[in-house]
Amino acid sequence: MSITDYLLATFVAYGLPALFVLILVSCVGVPFPSSLALVASGSFAAQGQMALWEVALVAFLAAVAGDQIGYLIARRIGRRLIVLVCRKYGFEMRLENAEAAIHRWGGAGVFLSRWLIPSLSPWINVTSGLAHFPWPRFVLWDVIGNAIWVVGYVLLGWAFSDQVQVVAQILGNLAWTILGLLVAGLLGWQLVAHHRAAAAPAGALAA
Amino acid sequence: MKPMGWRHWLLVLAFLAVVGFTGSQAMRTAELVAYWRQHRDDPIRPWMSLGYVAHSYHVPPHVLYEALGLPFEPRDRRPIARLAKEQRRADKDLIATLETAIAHARPPNPAPAPPVAPRPNDGRVP
Repeated sequence: MSITDYLLATFVAYGLPALFVLILVSCVGVPFPSSLALVASGSFAAQGQMALWEVALVAFLAAVAGDQIGYLIARRIGRRLIVLVCRKYGFEMRLENAEAAIHRWGGAGVFLSRWLIPSLSPWINVTSGLAHFPWPRFVLWDVIGNAIWVVGYVLLGWAFSDQVQVVAQILGNLAWTILGLLVAGLLGWQLVAHHRAAAAPAGALAA
Repeated sequence: MKPMGWRHWLLVLAFLAVVGFTGSQAMRTAELVAYWRQHRDDPIRPWMSLGYVAHSYHVPPHVLYEALGLPFEPRDRRPIARLAKEQRRADKDLIATLETAIAHARPPNPAPAPPVAPRPNDGRVP
């Protein structure tokens, strides 16, 4: 039996308390099958084994709590480590640039990663904590994003309650496809910028 | 025009790798959606309860309980892995038994009738 089967079997047997622990730990960063658990819990609600609102509330609270733990650990402990490393290797300027970017785009990153690319969430929590992204803003975007993630996935499980595995697989693949498109767009943009920078002196000489 | 440095080629390689990965994920997603539209059966996994398997395969749950020699309990949430442990059988063995029971309970085979509840005087000498 795989670790995924074992974790989901624990959830099936123990219900909401197990769902809380599974979602919380996965949001802290341990790679647990949280999306499949959410879709499956929606299916169990459709079968009358759990109440839909209880499932959604428990999963939402667990997700928000897990994200706060990841953020606070990075902010309290990780920050000191990264500053030490950057000072040692002379990366202070790069750290400042990264922090500026996170302060500018962090809200969108937190919000979109919660429901569009959930596998990225723990990393965004850590980078937000490391960069001292303001906690009230982090909580605001985290709460809104997690509400969409939890309600969306649970309702999908409720609506397609007899095929939770394939629905969860589609959602997982879709998230990686979206992430791939974003990264490809970013790299493509960098390539175009590189090409223009390389072509510019030749153009200037010709002129 | 300046010659392309190693950073440029690294960027090109990274771009191609990401495009390849994204393409394969998109194709896999399309395949899954096609599979989903045909509404094929979700493979039975050890984490599933008998209630979920019955729901997913559209068979009466008592059929699966009977196949495993268990009394039907509507609120039972024990996963297949635990049932296999309790019966000292391998997960695969239990899943094979369930698949056979499902095949026999689906059209063209009629689903067996649910077990009759015992009457108060059953088993007693009048």
